[in-house]
Amino acid sequence: MLAKYVARRFLASLVVVLGVTLITLVLMDRTRGTYVPGIDLNPSLRPEDIARLRADLGLDRPFYLWYITWIWGVLHGDFGRSMIDGSTVMSHILDRLPNTLELTATAIVIGLVVAVPLGVVGALRRGSRVDHTMTVVSVAGFAVPQFWMGLILILVFSVTLEQHGLPWLPSSGAFSAVNGGDVLDRIQHLILPATVLSFFYTSTWSRFIRSSMLEVLSQDYIRTARAKGMSERRVVYLHGLRNALIPLITLIGLELPGLVSGGLVVEVVFGWPGIGKLAFERALQYDYTTVMGVTFFATLLVVAGNLIADVLYGILDPRIRLA
Amino acid sequence: MSREEGADDGGFAQFEQFLEAWSRRDFLKRAGGAAAYMAFLGGAVEFLDACAGTSTTTTTTPKKGGHVVEGNFSDIRTLNSMLSSDTASNQVIGLMFDGLLNYRKNGDLIPALAADLPKTSSDGLTYTFKLRSNLKFSDGQPITSDDVKFTYQLAYDPQYAAVSSPRRGDLSKYIASIDTPDPQTVVIKTTQVFAPFLANHALYGILPKHVLGSMTAAQINTADFNTAPSVTSGAFKFVKWDKGQQVTMARNDNYWAGAPYLDQWIYKVLPDSVAVTNQLKTGEIDIGPVDPGQFDALKTTSTVAMSEFPVPTFTFYAYQLDPSKSAGPLFQDKAVRQALLYALNRDQIVSAVYFGHGTVANSVEPPTSWAYKDKPTTLIKFDKAKAESLLDGAGWAKGADGIRAKNGLKLKFTMITNAGNKQRESMLQIMQQSWHDIGVEATPSLIQFPQLVSQIVSIRTFDVFLVGFNWMQDPDVSPLYHSRNTAAGGFNGALFKNDQADTLLDQALTTLDKTKRKQLYFQFQDLMSDLEPSPVILFNTGIYGVNTRVQGTDFGPFNQFQNRPWNHATWVTDGK
Repeated sequence: MLAKYVARRFLASLVVVLGVTLITLVLMDRTRGTYVPGIDLNPSLRPEDIARLRADLGLDRPFYLWYITWIWGVLHGDFGRSMIDGSTVMSHILDRLPNTLELTATAIVIGLVVAVPLGVVGALRRGSRVDHTMTVVSVAGFAVPQFWMGLILILVFSVTLEQHGLPWLPSSGAFSAVNGGDVLDRIQHLILPATVLSFFYTSTWSRFIRSSMLEVLSQDYIRTARAKGMSERRVVYLHGLRNALIPLITLIGLELPGLVSGGLVVEVVFGWPGIGKLAFERALQYDYTTVMGVTFFATLLVVAGNLIADVLYGILDPRIRLA
Repeated sequence: MSREEGADDGGFAQFEQFLEAWSRRDFLKRAGGAAAYMAFLGGAVEFLDACAGTSTTTTTTPKKGGHVVEGNFSDIRTLNSMLSSDTASNQVIGLMFDGLLNYRKNGDLIPALAADLPKTSSDGLTYTFKLRSNLKFSDGQPITSDDVKFTYQLAYDPQYAAVSSPRRGDLSKYIASIDTPDPQTVVIKTTQVFAPFLANHALYGILPKHVLGSMTAAQINTADFNTAPSVTSGAFKFVKWDKGQQVTMARNDNYWAGAPYLDQWIYKVLPDSVAVTNQLKTGEIDIGPVDPGQFDALKTTSTVAMSEFPVPTFTFYAYQLDPSKSAGPLFQDKAVRQALLYALNRDQIVSAVYFGHGTVANSVEPPTSWAYKDKPTTLIKFDKAKAESLLDGAGWAKGADGIRAKNGLKLKFTMITNAGNKQRESMLQIMQQSWHDIGVEATPSLIQFPQLVSQIVSIRTFDVFLVGFNWMQDPDVSPLYHSRNTAAGGFNGALFKNDQADTLLDQALTTLDKTKRKQLYFQFQDLMSDLEPSPVILFNTGIYGVNTRVQGTDFGPFNQFQNRPWNHATWVTDGK
């Protein structure tokens, strides 16, 4: 029965992937005009050369023909080559993906580690000053634009600290330009961008855990456990928190695509050599193949994440029957 | 081998060629080369006049070792000199590959891999280059005329037609043949006399035939060499490319001008111009281009020395000159075109938009060019009264709504430029206000850059467009003003067609006589200052920030991002 469910969801996912990639292509194609990707404002390029390049890239044909050629390639595992620099899309993705994962995974872990205690404290000390402060900070956390926060952090922790002769943090890149790359160096570079990115996760998740905890703590079985003489700590953490965390799993599952695309703004602000920055730059340059490759990949993760979250939820909570 | 030893060995051969230089007709051209010989003989960095850009050369002994981090905010696409078309790629390529010739910072041609500037035949069609002796690639293999021929073949030879070189248009048009009578000699025959040939096409980085020669054209397009050049001909060799972040290069001990002092040169990709400023301040990067708006922020930083110089980059706007387009009839009359320019306070634009880092253009040629005429016959300066009287005289009377009209046609139009460029957006606003003051209604409109390019080269339904451009070292300005470039795909988007302009431009292209060319360009500038089809607003200045620990750099109009003959002579005072 689970197998049937998964199979049906898988087919639906395929449709989603095809749909999203097709829409992405249409959006790029309709806004491109006569521009040929990879060509700079270069007066020595003859019209014949530009026309030849356009034909080579397959851009002189209607978009659906281009799409079919692309899908055919994807089915054979060939994501094609970038229209801007000729390197394979796969090599671009593989080069950048580890960097993105490093950033987003760190941010998610930090987010969890900070959000859970904050949410629990908020629920237990509901209405107190601590709770109110947390509320304000949380709301600020997801209201503040990431690029603004990033720039402010750079200004304070990079430029200002350095000007005053204090130890300062680097403002761009995943590792130092010279003799960089060791773990300590990478962690130094990770601090500012991961903080900015995790702020959003912390804010939303701590609110969620707080309300989830409040809901669970008002359940009958909690009252029963207390009535039976169980210690408050066991009631709160063993029964309360564990049940409160279950919906959070869905949330984290939904964050799976965020592992790839969630860091886009942070990557651009901090010059982090990740996939988000790649997709952003290449979209502006109309590099169809690279953008389609990254979109395909990200969409795959979205549907996979959803599927995994649903299945996991169904397994963890026996009340849910997967229809 | 030590630097001094190398200089002496080559020195004698160079001295002989130096004597030969005196007997050539065109001594003035060779004087630049002679000065270069003196400098290379001495093994010191060239001493140039300080009028264009400050030099950080000192007379203390250069230290060996250390690194330099150069930052820029454009990402690199390829490391193959015949495939690259963007500035960032060319910048990194320039550190790793040398061409036959190079530029001094003022634009004069100097020999690089060639031992001397080429001999030109009397009919102006043949250039004979003699390569330096003992040239070696970074792997120790000799650089010979075969490598030079191979490099150029990638762009002009039909055998390599499938190679996606942006140079193919020009090189296949102008190169008739390349012969290599011996390993030190390259003879390039052109199809017609083309004055800018050397300046435009003799600087491409020479590629190793022993690495790429066995590949087919299609294989070259996708070769690993393009992202990881295993063999280089320039001051540095390739170490690593961390995509999206930086390219690491190391000293090439086989470099012809002597091994660089530095161990490493790193090119780092930054998010934007603000990041360049921040990292210059913190010292994360040593060298970087500075945005005019950031100049004051960096001026006070004691560890950064600023270098400012005029560059052939400029911003201009073009009137729609096709009478069949909606705004065409508005701009047919020269009086209108001149009047609109008289109404613009371009000094104000330079100070407000570029914070003073620019020069108001008197001519379509850049001030950095040897063909620049500072005072053309019609010198248009800010004169609101003159603008109004010109329009009145042309029959454009102010209506009840304050907008001028003639025969029922209002002097009203839309100006387009690309969104995201703060300076151009500000300029459009200033233009709108200035023209409003004389009874002209101009509305700014921002569109995406690819659409702007489409408008300029093919669609051409614009009324007025504003865009930036970059001239090369040669004063030829045909791409914007010759009527043949009004064809689809060309940059003469305003559809400016003038027989006299065409003749002057063509004549100046087909003679190698610099004096004669200068006269022709002077006449051309006079003509353009009168007709004003596409007025140039200003010429920019280039600004570079260099950390005070870096010595030996010498930025100038033509030694900016690429074509820098002093890369190998750069050193750092702390040796780190």
